[in-house]
Order: sequence, then C-alpha cells, then structure tokens
Amino acid sequence: MPNVCFYFQVHQPYRLRDLRITDIGREDTEYFDDEKNRAVFRKVAEKCYLPTNRLLLDMLAADPDFAVSFSLSGVFLDQCKEYGEDVLDSFRALAATGRVEFLAETDAHSLSYLGSLEEFCLQVRSHVEKIQRLFGCTPTVFRNTELVYCNDLAHVARLLGFRGILAEGADAILDGKTPNVPYAPPRFRLPAQRERVIRTHRPHVRPSTDITILLKNYRLSDDIAFRFSNRSWAGFPLYADTFADWVAQSEGHSVNLFMDYETFGEHQWADTGIFDFLRSLPAAFRSRGIATRTPSQVIDDWRPHRNKTGTFDAHACISWADMERDLSAWLGNDIQHAAFTAVYALEGAVRASGDPDLIEAWRRLQTSDHLYYMCTKYWNDGDVHKYFSPYESPYEAYRRFSHALEDLRLRLGNRESGAGRRGRKSQYKHRSRTSAPMSESLFPNPS
Amino acid sequence: MFGWEFPPLHTGGLGVACEGLVRGLRKNGVNVTLVLPHRTTADGVDVRVPDGMDVVAVESMLQAYDDHDSFDVRLSAGIPGDINLYGPDLGAAVERYTAQSVTLTRDVRPDVVHCHDWMTYAAGVCAAKHHDAPLVAHIHATELDRTDFHPHPWIAARERAGLLAANSVIAVSNYTKSLLVEHYGIPDRKITVVHNGHDPKVAPLVAQHGKKRGPLILFLGRLTVQKNPSQFLDVARLVRAMRPDVRFVMAGEGPMLGELMRRACALGLDNAVTFTGRVSKEEAEALFRQADCFVMPSLSEPFGLVALEAIGHGVPVILSKQSGASEVIEHAFKVDFWDADKMADCILTILREQPLARQLRSEAPRILQRLSWQRQAGAVRSLYEHLLRI
Repeated sequence: MPNVCFYFQVHQPYRLRDLRITDIGREDTEYFDDEKNRAVFRKVAEKCYLPTNRLLLDMLAADPDFAVSFSLSGVFLDQCKEYGEDVLDSFRALAATGRVEFLAETDAHSLSYLGSLEEFCLQVRSHVEKIQRLFGCTPTVFRNTELVYCNDLAHVARLLGFRGILAEGADAILDGKTPNVPYAPPRFRLPAQRERVIRTHRPHVRPSTDITILLKNYRLSDDIAFRFSNRSWAGFPLYADTFADWVAQSEGHSVNLFMDYETFGEHQWADTGIFDFLRSLPAAFRSRGIATRTPSQVIDDWRPHRNKTGTFDAHACISWADMERDLSAWLGNDIQHAAFTAVYALEGAVRASGDPDLIEAWRRLQTSDHLYYMCTKYWNDGDVHKYFSPYESPYEAYRRFSHALEDLRLRLGNRESGAGRRGRKSQYKHRSRTSAPMSESLFPNPS
Repeated sequence: MFGWEFPPLHTGGLGVACEGLVRGLRKNGVNVTLVLPHRTTADGVDVRVPDGMDVVAVESMLQAYDDHDSFDVRLSAGIPGDINLYGPDLGAAVERYTAQSVTLTRDVRPDVVHCHDWMTYAAGVCAAKHHDAPLVAHIHATELDRTDFHPHPWIAARERAGLLAANSVIAVSNYTKSLLVEHYGIPDRKITVVHNGHDPKVAPLVAQHGKKRGPLILFLGRLTVQKNPSQFLDVARLVRAMRPDVRFVMAGEGPMLGELMRRACALGLDNAVTFTGRVSKEEAEALFRQADCFVMPSLSEPFGLVALEAIGHGVPVILSKQSGASEVIEHAFKVDFWDADKMADCILTILREQPLARQLRSEAPRILQRLSWQRQAGAVRSLYEHLLRI
C-alpha cells in the first residue's frame, strides 16, 4: 500500500499598476500595485493561509506521524514581510514542529530556467538562503516554477546539490506506468560551460550524486484541488474515508498529492467542507495503514528499492498547467514570447548596474504569473480561458508589463551613460559572492 | 421583412446588417420578402439583392436619404425640438410606410413578420396582425444610443410600443439587451441576442506606393454624439504629445464636422488630423490598409460593425467598452468611452510594441469565421421555428 506525500505551493505575484506611458522615465515610477497586492494578500491570508496553517498545526500536534511539505516562493515571503508578519509567524510555527519540509524553488517564482541558467542558479541560491534564514532549515528537494521539468533541469538541480525534484506525472511520458513510484532521469553530463555556471552558484556544499524524481498523481491531487466542490462530479461529495480508500487501492510506493495551498479556503471555500475534509484525513489514512511522508522521507523510504528505479525521460519541458501539461500557458503566443525575451535581454545590464532596487524590480518582473496573464489559449474555440487574472485582458497585462520593462530599460540606460559605472560593477561582484542580491536585506538575519 | 436601409442606400450599420441577414437567411432556406421605403432597383441594386427575393418598394414616399440622416443627426446633436421639427419628413414617411404595409404584402403569406428598428415597427405590428403571424422586432440601435441618453419621447414611445407588441425581440448585443431590460422594461426572456455577422470580402492585394509618412490612426463613423468623435481629438492630442509623427484620420460626415474641425484647430492639431468627409467603400478600404490602429470610442454602441471591418482588414482595434462589438471581439483593447488617456496609451503601446501589433492583426480576424451572416441568420431561423411551434 502506498504512503501519501503532501506538497502545497504557496505563492503570490507582485501585480502591476495601471502604468501609463507618461510614467516611463519618471523619478519615482512604481511598477507594482501595492494596494491591490496588499488587498489580495490579506484576503487570501484570512481565507486560506491563517486558518489552514492553524489547522495543520493542530493536526501535527494531534498526530505524531502526520507530515506535510511546502514550497513558499521568494516573492511570497517578501510579501509576508510587507503585508503579513502574522502569516510568516504561522509558517514559522509549522517549521518549529520539525515535521514540515520546505522545498527550494526560484526566488521570484520565475521561468528563469528557460531564460538564463545563471539567473536561475542565482535565484535558487537566494531562495535557499531565504528559507535558511527564515525557518532555520536547508531545502534538499527542488521544485521548479509550475512544475516545469525536463531531463536537463534534473541534472542542473542535481549539480546544485539537490537529492530530489518534483514533476508532473504526465501521461505522455509515463505511458501507462504509475506516477506513484520515484523515478530517475536518464544519465548524461551537461556541457562543461553549464557545469561551471552551476558550480559557481551552487547553494549546497557539494553536488548530489543522483537525484530522485517524485511525480504528482494528478488524478487524486485534482480530486481535491479542482473537483472537490463540483456537484456534477461522480465523486461528490468527497469524504476523507472515500479518499483514503482510493489511496489504499492505488499501487506503488507513494501517492504524491501536489497542489496550490489556496485550494484550502480560497479555491474551495470553507463552506464546501474542505477544512473538515483535511482535518479528517490523518485518521482516515492511519486506520488504513497509510503514512503521510514528506518528499525527503519518500526518497529515504525508497532507498532499499533503489535498484528498481525506472527512468522518467522528459526531453521537452512539461509542467502542471492545463490539459497540455506544457509551456503554452506562459509561452504560447507572440506577446508572451516578446515579454519573456525582453526580460532576459536585460540581464547583462541589470547585473552590471549592481543596483539592488533594479535587480529586485527585474526579478519581480520575471514572475511567471505576468506571462500567464497574457495567455490567449482556448480563445479561438470561443471559450475564454478561465484563469485568475487581475487584469481585464491579456493585452492589458502586456500593456502594463511592456511599460514597466520600458521604464526599467530607460533606467538601465541612464545608469550606463552616467558616471561611476565601474565602481558599481565591482560592488556587484562582491554582492554576488556573498549572494545577497535582492530583498534579503528586508529580513533581519536571526543568527 | 420590413427594413429601412438597404445597400446601396444606407448611412450606417443598419443597412449593412439588414443585407447580411437577408443573404444569410436565404442560405438557411428562408424566403424573404423585403419591404423597403425606397426602390433599390436603381442602378446596381439587382446585384446586391439575392435572386428570388421580392423587394417591394413603397412608392414616392421618402425624400433623399440625407434628410433622414440629417434628421437623425439634428436629434443626435441634442437640439431640442418637438415633433413638428421633423414630422413633415420622417414622421410622415413612417406613417405612410406603415399605412401601406398591409397593402403591399397582401399577396404574401408570411410565417413570421420581422422588422428592423423603430421606423418599421408600426408597419410590422399591422402586418403581423393582418397575417396573423408572430412578430420579431430586431433592434440595431436604441434611441438612447443615438442621443446620449436624451431620448426623444415620441421616438422612444414608438420604439417601446413596437418592442412590447413583438412576440420576440432580437438585440444585436447583450449590451443592447440590458438597455432594453433596464430602460424600456422589456422582459428579459423575450429578448434573444444575435450578434451581427461579417462576411469578409477577399480584399485585393494593392501595392502601396510612396513612403508612409508616419503611423496612422483611424476613426471611421458618422460624426455624431453617439460615435464620440470629439474624444478622438483628445486622444490625438495626448498621442501627439508623446509621438509628434503620428497622423490621425477622421473619416465620415455628420453634423459635428464643423465643430470638430474648429476643435482640432484649437487643440493645435490642424496638421495632425485629416477630415476626409464621407468616404466610399473603396476609400474606406484604402484607409484601413494604411491604418496602424483603429479607434471606436462610441458613447453607446449597440454593435459597431465597423470594428469588424477594421479587423477584417487586419487593423488592431481599440474599442469602447460600451459597445456590442466588445462582447465578441477578444483580441483588442477595450477601454471606457470616457478614458481618453488610456486610449492614447493603448495606441502608443501598439505603435511601440511590434509583437503586440502583430498578434492583434493576426489573431483578431479569427472572430470573423465564427460570426458569418449565415451562422447568425441560422440563429434567427431557430428563433422563427421556436415562435412557430408555440
């Protein structure tokens, strides 16, 4: 009988202001909509983060075997500092139980893996350091933004020192095999040049010799995340006992339930009974002999069976988005490609500026949500893509985004032509070695 | 079917829509007898009327179309006036048209009587009664749209009476439907929304000669309050402040022309804005081919077929949110009619961001495949069948 592994994604983007072309080049142009971001953060905090964290804390206290894992994006943690110290404290309380695992990701919840290897490594490193500072633990399992995954990434993560990585249990690759057992990527070496970049920015002391892939069981995950309150679904209403039966009837080593944390209280409102469901799960699992494990524990448990590990071979990128499970939600049309290319075209100039404010702004523009809001997939069927966007259309998203980038470009240009460039450059080198490029200064170092 | 405008004698979208619908209905196997207030058999009209369709003209009843238009326009400009102001022309014409409606259709045995906009409603009511057939009132524009919500009571009353008398109402957008429910008290369930269609004609590839002077932004429509042309000038001023090389064209005629020209001069836009006056179909196409962006800033636009034409010519469009077209067009910027600043910003963004312009040009026309007149007329036919069943 398989065990269960919960991983919850916690993330909030910095949504953009209604920027106008006349704002570009002004001294004090602010890109992000502070009011809106605060309002969304507080709403989700009250509906989801605070009550669910409270509930999980109770569950951990009541059941000594219960365990969960989180990935908190760096931009989410930055927003905690700005809008919700109470939320941060509640995550700290969870961390203090010692039975909550925190995963590593890109600090800005970005698609930097696709844009720039160096930027990707820097972001992973700054995220790891942020988790260390805030929660006193070091992530050893990596999950990439939106579960974007491919063979190459697995080796990048391995060389960065991670022993595990999460991915979508995409049917196209599993081809009938179960997502409920750990897999390994095909073995190959990366080009020396790439290995060098990775080595330079590695957050861990040494690279990992091998890396284990944990795949999302999307059927059982989506039963909770998407279908829980769907009255036309055959499984409605879903009770913890039924769900535990489904897990018990599954094959394999571990059923990996990966979902957005906002499932609890935000996507599925409290009145759907989602909290009661969650509360009842540990007992339902226990009575069937199902243990809850974190990703690291799943990997540890698998050690004796290591010689049975199969290969998960993802040549092209997969993700957990939409039916396609590919990149088309972020890189599916002209404006998305243009925005993505334009952001990473600024990398050199942003680095060279050494200006922490510019680096931070640039990173926050890398957040994948900005590209997601520009998605026009499914429109041609006359069926508007049901996505969560703060803007009224993908074109509005692009308008705001392109203005922010234009302003950033201008600010970088002004710096370039200004004096003291060399001084700043050397300052940057220093910063990158100590690796505190962005908002970390917001957080007091507990040590 | 009772119509008022029909190409080539038309001044606005009503004529175009009417023609499209009639052709679409024919393709759906519906025979149409069209009653119009003017002869369309004059030169070139036969080509535009599908074979087998009866066009019954009410004889010697209306003066030139311009008068109808100018009437419309006087009202739009907000000149207060009582019924006598236009009674001798339009009012009398409507009365006469109505009086002859039964006579002209005596030999026809219609299953359904369908009438377009308030001028034909009374005729429709008479004919439906005489033939004992269900009445469909199609509404392309309400009096509220035309007058910036200062309706003429006589027209609004006739409009409402017709809508109430009809067995079923077809509105060209959800936007119009909500106006009917909210301001005319027409029951929600009685109204069916059938968006206008568009049959793109294959535009011939025309070689562009000469060097383009700079980006061109286009307005095309009657210069009346409803179309909000003065907003276009404000937008032009804002755009020029950032990009002095951008040119603006206001195509169309109407009672506000003089006022707009004066205003353009006052804003210092005399070298930036070109007023073309009324444009022919070919001239309009030439303008669409040159335009980098089309703006439809209407105050209240039941549909806005011209936006589909712009899209058909591959022009990125910026639409007033207060329009029916914005319900069906996805790949466009949609802005509140009063927000000149945002419209200007959208124009400047389209001009600066090539990938954006490219995507708007290539993606927006897909809507035209879904909005063919044949398909839209199919929805009308279904409504007819429903009415005949109950």
